[in-house]
Amino acid sequence: MRVRILRQESPTTEPYWESFDYDGPKDTSVAALLDNLNFHDDLVNDAGQKTQRVTWECSCLQGACGGCAMVINGMPALACDTFLQDLQGDEIVLQPLSKFPTIRDLVVDRASIQDNLKQSGIFIGSYQPAKNESFALQYDAAKCLKCGLCLEICPNYTNGINFFGAVFANDCYLVHARNRQKSRNIKKTYAQHFGNACSKSLSCMDVCPMHISTIASMAKLNR
Amino acid sequence: MKEVLVIGSGIAGLSCAIRCAENNVRVILVSPQPSERAQSVMAAGGINAVTMQCDECDSVSSHIEDTLRGGSWIAGKNAVTGLCSQAQDIIKYLEHIGTVFSIDSQGQPRRRAFGGQSHKRTYFCGSSTGKQIVSALVMEARRFEAAGLITRKLHTHFHSALIKDGMCYGVLLFDELKRTLTPFYASAVVMATGGQNALFGKTTGSILCDGYAAGRLFMQGALLKNLEFIQFHPTTLETDQKRMLITEAARGEGGRLFYEEGGRRVYFMEDKFGANGNLMTRDIVSREIYATNREVFLDVSFLGDRLIAERLQEVCDLCLKYRGIDICTQPIPVAPSVHFFMGGLAVHLNHETNIERLYAVGECASMYHGANRLGGNSLLAALYGGVVAADDLCQRTAPPHCPSFAQFIAHEERHLAAHLDSKSLFPVTYIRDMLADTMHDCMGIVRTEEGLTEGIDAVEYYQSIAEHLRYDSSVSMYANYSLTGILATAHASLSCALARNESRGAHYRDDAPQSKDGYAYATLVSYDDGAYRTWLDKEQAYES
Ligand SMILES: Cc1cc2nc3c(=O)[nH]c(=O)nc-3n(C[C@H](O)[C@H](O)[C@H](O)COP(=O)(O)OP(=O)(O)OC[C@H]3O[C@@H](n4cnc5c(N)ncnc54)[C@H](O)[C@@H]3O)c2cc1C
Repeated sequence: MRVRILRQESPTTEPYWESFDYDGPKDTSVAALLDNLNFHDDLVNDAGQKTQRVTWECSCLQGACGGCAMVINGMPALACDTFLQDLQGDEIVLQPLSKFPTIRDLVVDRASIQDNLKQSGIFIGSYQPAKNESFALQYDAAKCLKCGLCLEICPNYTNGINFFGAVFANDCYLVHARNRQKSRNIKKTYAQHFGNACSKSLSCMDVCPMHISTIASMAKLNR
Repeated sequence: MKEVLVIGSGIAGLSCAIRCAENNVRVILVSPQPSERAQSVMAAGGINAVTMQCDECDSVSSHIEDTLRGGSWIAGKNAVTGLCSQAQDIIKYLEHIGTVFSIDSQGQPRRRAFGGQSHKRTYFCGSSTGKQIVSALVMEARRFEAAGLITRKLHTHFHSALIKDGMCYGVLLFDELKRTLTPFYASAVVMATGGQNALFGKTTGSILCDGYAAGRLFMQGALLKNLEFIQFHPTTLETDQKRMLITEAARGEGGRLFYEEGGRRVYFMEDKFGANGNLMTRDIVSREIYATNREVFLDVSFLGDRLIAERLQEVCDLCLKYRGIDICTQPIPVAPSVHFFMGGLAVHLNHETNIERLYAVGECASMYHGANRLGGNSLLAALYGGVVAADDLCQRTAPPHCPSFAQFIAHEERHLAAHLDSKSLFPVTYIRDMLADTMHDCMGIVRTEEGLTEGIDAVEYYQSIAEHLRYDSSVSMYANYSLTGILATAHASLSCALARNESRGAHYRDDAPQSKDGYAYATLVSYDDGAYRTWLDKEQAYES
């Protein structure tokens, strides 16, 4: 099996492709494949040249933290939650999430996710929950990993300067549900940075590892 | 204005940072990755508290008693009293910052029963209690971030503390992006770096918890405590990269443990302990599985598809996804795994270590759990400890004149530069893997003097070569420089286990299987230029 990885040494250097031959187990995850490649004295590429280990990020290794989000065969996904046997073809292509600045190899800087939430005041303040708000929806929305997969797939999200994506919409809903006094303002902010520009492809929901129903958050905030 | 450094942004770090900010103290919150990646998000089962809604016959004193008993009577009574007394307020606080607890038909938070407790007092949020708490805390911290009171520093690791004459003035932080070491001075430093998973390689937890910070501080004069007490979870499923926890609920719902012999199933827990044998405490089940010396399975298939879908869907998904096992028709291969560390930095009631102005909270501190932790008490301890440390340090006056650390910093920079210069491709993980094997062999569920001595010899050998090897500089610098601290923590743990010549709580010595009165104290361990000294805290200098 061939593994093609879009690599980059530092934030300021150019990305380049490098391929590896992988003959390890197939019934395993992409995360385990990366560990397998890195676990050699001398990592060599498919041209037989010595090369540096592939940098990637992880923490829980069981789909609960969002650390290892990347693009796998063209689809945004978590490496620990994607299995080789489920991928088509004999080649695996790994790329860093393209909508965030690359730090190194498959590691990107996702700080803009929190920065946007912070700058637009997405926090509860005082707890004054709206009556009859659905606990199930809040529970769902609060499972967001802030992994960035929804932003990667989104046709409307580019660099997070004006349009903040599904991750933003779900946190807006949480504030709306928990502080009814803030609700009107939140709806405005939501419209400005999400509602007005979302073309409703809803691809965000297809790739969300937590299966968050962003459309349900939208329905609440559009009301 | 005072400024505090909080290292680690899991539940303990967030709790401390938020409380400091509420007291109008500025915080720099340091972690390599954001809070969403901290191990805290993995906590599933729940958090303990006796509240007004609890059973009439339940009480705070019963929670205290259960905690002390669970810890085999070596946790500090005052510490545990504080923890349990504040638990109700902590649940209320969590609700008020928007934690989505599971609720009953009257809209009241639901409770479940958890091992080792005399009453139902574990509050939970579906099957992701830790995640829901982290989400709420992150949002609350964001409020203070927007106000400029909390500043996050990501892609940054703790390197060492700036300590002189028993006082901490700040830390050296390593910035992975710039690859530089930078001093940060503060009126107090709070460590919230979690447990010591990396000592054992594969565990149920996060790879971000590595025991480095505790080990490095130990080498700088901080005392460690109770490192021999490590909780094993009896039922975990092995995957390529970790051991996944199979919730106790699987046995709670009737799941049966067995091994195969001559083509028939031996239900060894039921044979030995009767019908409820599968529900014995984590320690006992772990030890019994270990004693079989065979592959052990957990069977839930007889519950039927409908019940499994209703009550154990997550176990079902996990087994299918990571191992292709359909639990409706197949048994689950399980083995015990390291799960929680009762030991860590020794702290006083106010969460300050023996080094002035250096605090520790959450799983990296040794407090409240004694020789064994009750499930649901560690989330509580992480939240409570953060608040206690914050309230204490916020009252302190500014530190005295800061001495110069120029020499220390220059020395550490030279040391790192040598690593950075390396052309070697030797991966530090080789030594980490050898360490994990040693720890599993010598510091596992059942220990002996001989095994522990061998373990110490092996770790001394790794320590002797670790300093001289050059590591692959293309990987994270932290992965390289953290090795010495991790090895020191491992050495200290083995020393504590060797010194405790009895069995107590999670520490089981095959050559001394009974508890002994003379050992009913915490173990302390110090480091002095390569010498590891252990003693029992008979004066109860810590946690009292
Ligand atoms: C699978 C699982 C289930 C659990 N379930 C429960 C449960 O139901 N109830 C319960 O009470 N407990 C449970 N626990 C235990 C509980 O989750 C932990 O004890 C608790 O979350 C610890 O929180 P913490 O803030 O101390 O550490 P963590 O959440 O581990 O956070 C540590 C932080 O420190 C940072 N860090 C680490 N090293 C460095 C460094 N060198 N420099 C800078 N930053 C660093 C990390 O990045 C992270 O931000 C469970 C644990 C596991 C593994």
